[in-house]
Amino acid sequence: MTPPMAERLQELISQGKWEPAFELLRELKPAAAADLIMTMRFEEQQLLFRQLPIPLAASIINHLPYFHAYVLLHSRPVQEMAAIVEAMKQAERDHFLDALPEEAWTSLMDELAEAGSATEPPAVQTPETGREKEVAARPAADEKPIIEARGIEKSFTQKDGSEIQVIAPVDLSLESGTIIALLGPSGSGKSTLLRILSGLAAPTAGKVLWHGEPVGECSPNVAIVFQSFALFPWLTVLENVESPLLARGMEHEERHRRALKALDSVGLKNFETAYPKELSGGMKQRVGFARALAVEPEVLFMDEPFSALDVLTAENLRGDLMELWLAKKIPTRSIFIVTHNIEEAVLLADRVIVLGRNPARIRADFRIALPQPRDRKSAAFFPYVDYIYKVMTKPELTLAPPSATAKQPTPMLPHARPGGVAGLLELLMDRGGEEDLYHVAETLLLEVDDLLPILDAATMLGFATAHEGDVKITPPGRTFAEADIPTRKRLFREALTHVPLMQQIVTALENKSDHTMPVEFFRDLLDERLPAHDVEQQIETVLNWGRYADIFTYDSASDRLRLILAGEAANSQEAAPLH
Amino acid sequence: MTRSKTSAGVLTWGTIPKRVPSILQDLPIIFAGFALFYALLSMTHYWLAPANAETAIQLRVSALPKYAMFSVLRIAIAYLFSLAFTLVYGYIAAYNARAEKFMIPLLDTLQSIPVLSFLPGVMLSMVALFPTRQLGVELGSILLIFTGQVWNMTFSFYSSLKNIPREMREVAQVYRWSWWQRFTQMELPYAAIGLVWNSMMSVAGGWFFLMACEMFILGNRDLRLPGLGSYLQTAANAGDTRAIVWGLSVMIGIIVLIDQLIWRPVIAWSEKFKFEQVESVESPHSFVLDFLQRSKILPFLARVAVRPVRECLSLYFANRQAAASQNRKPGAIGKWISRALLGAMLAGVAYAFVKMIILLVGLTRAELHGIFVGAGATLLRVAFTLVLAGLWTIPAGVIVGLRPKLSAIAQPLAQIAASVPATALFPIILLVLIRAGGGLGIGSIVLLLLGTQWYILFNVIAGAMAIPTDLKEVCNVFRFNKLERWRELYLPGIFPYLVTGFVTASGGAWNASIIAEYFRFKGHTYTVTGLGSVISDATDTGNYRVLIGATILMAMMVVTINRLLWRRLYALAATRFKLEG
Ligand SMILES: Nc1ncnc2c1ncn2[C@@H]1O[C@H](COP(=O)(O)OP(=O)(O)OP(=O)(O)O)[C@@H](O)[C@H]1O
Ligand SMILES: [Mg+2]
Repeated sequence: MTPPMAERLQELISQGKWEPAFELLRELKPAAAADLIMTMRFEEQQLLFRQLPIPLAASIINHLPYFHAYVLLHSRPVQEMAAIVEAMKQAERDHFLDALPEEAWTSLMDELAEAGSATEPPAVQTPETGREKEVAARPAADEKPIIEARGIEKSFTQKDGSEIQVIAPVDLSLESGTIIALLGPSGSGKSTLLRILSGLAAPTAGKVLWHGEPVGECSPNVAIVFQSFALFPWLTVLENVESPLLARGMEHEERHRRALKALDSVGLKNFETAYPKELSGGMKQRVGFARALAVEPEVLFMDEPFSALDVLTAENLRGDLMELWLAKKIPTRSIFIVTHNIEEAVLLADRVIVLGRNPARIRADFRIALPQPRDRKSAAFFPYVDYIYKVMTKPELTLAPPSATAKQPTPMLPHARPGGVAGLLELLMDRGGEEDLYHVAETLLLEVDDLLPILDAATMLGFATAHEGDVKITPPGRTFAEADIPTRKRLFREALTHVPLMQQIVTALENKSDHTMPVEFFRDLLDERLPAHDVEQQIETVLNWGRYADIFTYDSASDRLRLILAGEAANSQEAAPLH
Repeated sequence: MTRSKTSAGVLTWGTIPKRVPSILQDLPIIFAGFALFYALLSMTHYWLAPANAETAIQLRVSALPKYAMFSVLRIAIAYLFSLAFTLVYGYIAAYNARAEKFMIPLLDTLQSIPVLSFLPGVMLSMVALFPTRQLGVELGSILLIFTGQVWNMTFSFYSSLKNIPREMREVAQVYRWSWWQRFTQMELPYAAIGLVWNSMMSVAGGWFFLMACEMFILGNRDLRLPGLGSYLQTAANAGDTRAIVWGLSVMIGIIVLIDQLIWRPVIAWSEKFKFEQVESVESPHSFVLDFLQRSKILPFLARVAVRPVRECLSLYFANRQAAASQNRKPGAIGKWISRALLGAMLAGVAYAFVKMIILLVGLTRAELHGIFVGAGATLLRVAFTLVLAGLWTIPAGVIVGLRPKLSAIAQPLAQIAASVPATALFPIILLVLIRAGGGLGIGSIVLLLLGTQWYILFNVIAGAMAIPTDLKEVCNVFRFNKLERWRELYLPGIFPYLVTGFVTASGGAWNASIIAEYFRFKGHTYTVTGLGSVISDATDTGNYRVLIGATILMAMMVVTINRLLWRRLYALAATRFKLEG
């Protein structure tokens, strides 16, 4: 693909010149056009795809990787989606549908069938109503958003005075009638984004509008539910729920009535006089919900509200919340939920936003067109889950050509232990050397967030490759997985020669006459480039890896590293990492 | 009453007998109210009496109740001042970033200035304020007690405010709590436990310095106020052992009584402010609190008087907040007033500073020599005391802390022992020492030890109790011997607590040195070389140059030691020696 062409296309899209962009794509062979589209960021792909004329979309779609195709198709209204599939060449359509996984295929078929039946009534009326029907299906698109964020950025000042950007310029709007789920790796800035949107924190740049007015100047009616509940232990359940109403100057009787109603709606009648510490986690979060609902917020923000609860309790509470929402028992017009749990996002949300990290930008923003209530066993459910996995696991592959990674001064070491890497490789060997990431996570009972660092470590060391959400073991990985412990250590050591931070440390140690250095030195080195929290993780990881690989020993009393010289390596058993 | 309503009748009858004792139950509360009223009345009466420089302190036992009452009221009023100061100062320091930058170091410095160094300034200004009334001297004494009580409370409140969890604050912010609601529903409750413990420590400190605060020589004036402290001091001066024993018994009695009637109930009550997510198994218990909660009068008062007022205030501030958020305009006048205040304050500080320099320049070589030699001597004395205290408290504390049954017995005993102010015991100790041929040299160290060892002991016990069980089990698994156990587990485990204990003890020891190194006993003034005796002597002789010079040196030494030694050890404790249970 010729880069100038990609740039030209992107320029046209960013200027909103759709016709010339289509022209450009039409001039290419469909396969080349698809490749060109794949060089763009996913949100741009979506933007473009929503506009593509149906015949053009139909010619290109088969050449896109099937998951992209699947999700891009779903970014259009059902009728248009059906039209595109209809317009595909017979052979291509068969090929495309064949490539889809079983579940995706069934669900697509269902949707197409539904679209087919749904188009009947408008066809009886006038031909133009097809267009109107589409508008009606997505009423939010025309309505003014409740919250609109324009180019918001956030940076924090570090201890040493340097700035670190947590959120890159982001545009975002919250429409009425939707539940939006925000996903992203740990520490990517989800909570920060939530704080900015809710008016709790001011963005460093850009602005947040609430019904068109800057949030600073009006008092938005929002409520927040926190992961840690944030209840006041010295107030009774009732007083906790009443507290926001008291702040509004509501009289005693009215306050009491509304608080009781809110408690009732979350199933906590008769617990008014209890103190939070007498309640179980699930009940505490119910109080948290009651407090939020008592103010009848227009937008309800939730920061990982179910993460601190056990699976069953979370499931229950989620169900209750959805019941209130779907039956419109609460006047809330939009819910914004930050979550770690992909299934939860697909279960609840009408729209999912995935954040990347360092700094956070939107990696994907798409609608989930499944009817509520949703069933996680349903065929249509899985493709979304898998797709989000893929967006989250593919570190910027489509976003920039591979050479771009070299530009980064020091790639971060994934926070994983050598034991974890070995475990993953052994599992892969067991599964014949290749496996779907989602299944790996499932087998290991891990969340993506926990699995990702291990996978990253394995790829960084050249023991595995990840592609399109599949992990594949490499020949060196195979050797490693089959080797005994000393050999593993040697292989690990060799693999680490490609890790810049480790090399930096080794070089520094080699150049000292006594071959020792204080860890503090490397900490300082990293301090200039990374936030404090990351520095600790990096140091911890590099110590773990280096000690496992017998590169150096670490003396915690003096906080110093000592290089293990070639002759020593054999008898340095005591240097093995403490787990 | 008809037959059909028998069950209701039984119920009604069942409640009647209960009602009689419930009135009886309330009697003590009513009596307490009257007693307090009478005490305040007689105190005011005495305060407004014409100034009477030389009150003769009578050593009659029958005079003791009155003296005790005066002392208790003095400490109580000083405590109320401290509380008010704490709330205002801590609040401003926590929320005004610009003020915080100088308020906290200032607090740090003030904390390291011994009580007696405040004496001349406080006394002279108070006497000048009310030249003809007893009130002047009396207020001076109260302010002195205040300077001994207030700083740790302020620190505790400030750091509590700073540590309020972010999400709690965000709840208050997102629901736009008014200032008042934040204060009463979040900040005060969150700070309550720290405040209660520090209040106890402060009041104990008040008793410790009571003798110094009620009777002193200021230049050529011999000021004494009727009170337990001056009674004990006079008895010591006269060598009247019987009076000393009587005074001491009354003092200990009062301390135990206050502990039972006030602190235990308050601690038990403040349990509800504990910031924990699950209920702890055993919590402090107080029969007085149970009694008060069962009484009828207090809940009645709460319902009739407190609750409506609270409701009113909450709504008033909430409405004001809502109104304020609508027209958000920075108050220009307020800004100017605060600027003017700041300017005036800076000018005052600058003036005082210049005056002080002028005074200090006048220090003679001999005086300087005395100050520095004294500083060295006190430094050694304090260090020696801390080592001595550590030597017995660390093993004892660990042994007690590791055995839950033993600590259940030993801890309350130690608490009673610790609550007796060492200064009150001092005359007796000195008497014994002088008989045995020793003098203030040993006496001063004994006094410092008595005054400070408890901080270390309690912290070590707490640290040893907090050592996680699984780590103890690991020691068993690895068959560690005694030495290894101490080195690998006990010492690292108690280290953070030990540092806390030593910090408090060291601060207390410096402060106590002014009493320990200079003591009037049987008409004779015993002194040993030290910064404390330099300060006490300078106060007595009215030599302000030396007083200020010595005070500055002491404050500087304490602050420097805090910065160079304790703060580093704290940092070390927070990183290296943190045991995660
Ligand atoms: N007040 C702050 N000062 C400095 N850095 C901050 C502050 N708040 C957040 N950060 C940094 O911003 C980044 C994003 O934090 P944030 O809490 O928004 O992440 P998150 O996506 O919610 O993470 P998690 O999934 O762990 O909740 C982190 O690296 C964090 O260290
Ligand atoms: Mg978060």
